[in-house]
Amino acid sequence: MTGWRNNFLRALAERAVSAEMGDELLREADLEAAERGLPPEQIFGPATAYADQLARALRVPSGSPLALAEQSSPALRLNGISKRYGRRQVLNDVTLEVRHGESVAVVGANGSGKSTLLKVCAGTVKPDAGTVERTEHVGYVPQSGGTAEFLTATEHFELFAAARQNSRRRGRATGERLAASLGWSPSSEHTAGQLSGGTRQKLNVVLGELSGPDLLLLDEPYQGFDHGSYIDLWTQIDRWREKGTGVLIVTHMLGDLDRVDRIIELDSPED
Amino acid sequence: MVQESKRLWLHGLLEVCVLGLLEERRDYGLALANRLEDAGLGSVPGGTMYPALLRLETAGLVRSVREPSTTGPPRKYFEVTVEGRSVLAQRRHEWREFSRSIDAVLGLEAHT
Repeated sequence: MTGWRNNFLRALAERAVSAEMGDELLREADLEAAERGLPPEQIFGPATAYADQLARALRVPSGSPLALAEQSSPALRLNGISKRYGRRQVLNDVTLEVRHGESVAVVGANGSGKSTLLKVCAGTVKPDAGTVERTEHVGYVPQSGGTAEFLTATEHFELFAAARQNSRRRGRATGERLAASLGWSPSSEHTAGQLSGGTRQKLNVVLGELSGPDLLLLDEPYQGFDHGSYIDLWTQIDRWREKGTGVLIVTHMLGDLDRVDRIIELDSPED
Repeated sequence: MVQESKRLWLHGLLEVCVLGLLEERRDYGLALANRLEDAGLGSVPGGTMYPALLRLETAGLVRSVREPSTTGPPRKYFEVTVEGRSVLAQRRHEWREFSRSIDAVLGLEAHT
């Protein structure tokens, strides 16, 4: 097998394309190469890049424009939230609402309290003033941490499913399906500690949505993602929205703010 | 026209162009690339054409059949589905409006 064909199959498998489909795609590439009498790299370019395009074409149902969130009930409501660490005022009177089926981005300079705000929403940080009302079923994807070094991805799926009184088998199946939509096929051999930063973040995203939450809180969830995975994540956010999940995402990728329904800008910290 | 701008413009339009060609008649990948080139849209590499066809197929706008060819290996032919036709009709309408607006902005309005 030439390098190109081997790289192609490997890259497809890594992107969670089934072996059956991979063989089919390779057969087609071979036929095409035979028809033109050219080596595949001259027709399709580098195997990994081509495989990445095809894998994405297989899982992104392109087309239908997004329906804007209709007037729906709020999944999260913050009113007059303030938080101070020592003498430093981190959040000052922040009010926001995220409705079901709506995506809202939180932007702001470094130190403007974006992560603190998300922790307040998740309930892991108590504000000094203000009220938080949220739906019962919340998924939280922290910026780092959140996974156990010595457990495999599958064990995480089972553990998180068990915490919601779901069967381990269902947790495993759902986790693997969600991972595939991010172009990731978890290996049963590697523990979370052995995963690359980007893959560990994918695990975090999958865990956040595993039990189908009504509200998903994402703190710059794409660190270490390659470009294709980054695009997949935004597609995924659109899908959550369509299902009626409220999405609050902390982001510094300002070029993609047209993908969300609303933007909340936090004030820069006072010196 | 400069190749680079042509490539950039076609980027967002390749799928709808392919749908248009396939509505006229069913075809296979290489022939579609040739028809686009003949239409003056430049050459579309296989690494761009096949993912586009696969996206259309995943979205259910085209379907494919493998058929033996008289001149060589079997070919995969693509044809538009009913849903593909209705999407194409909608895109045609949108394009007419959009291109009219661009023409106006660029001072290319038809003097009729």
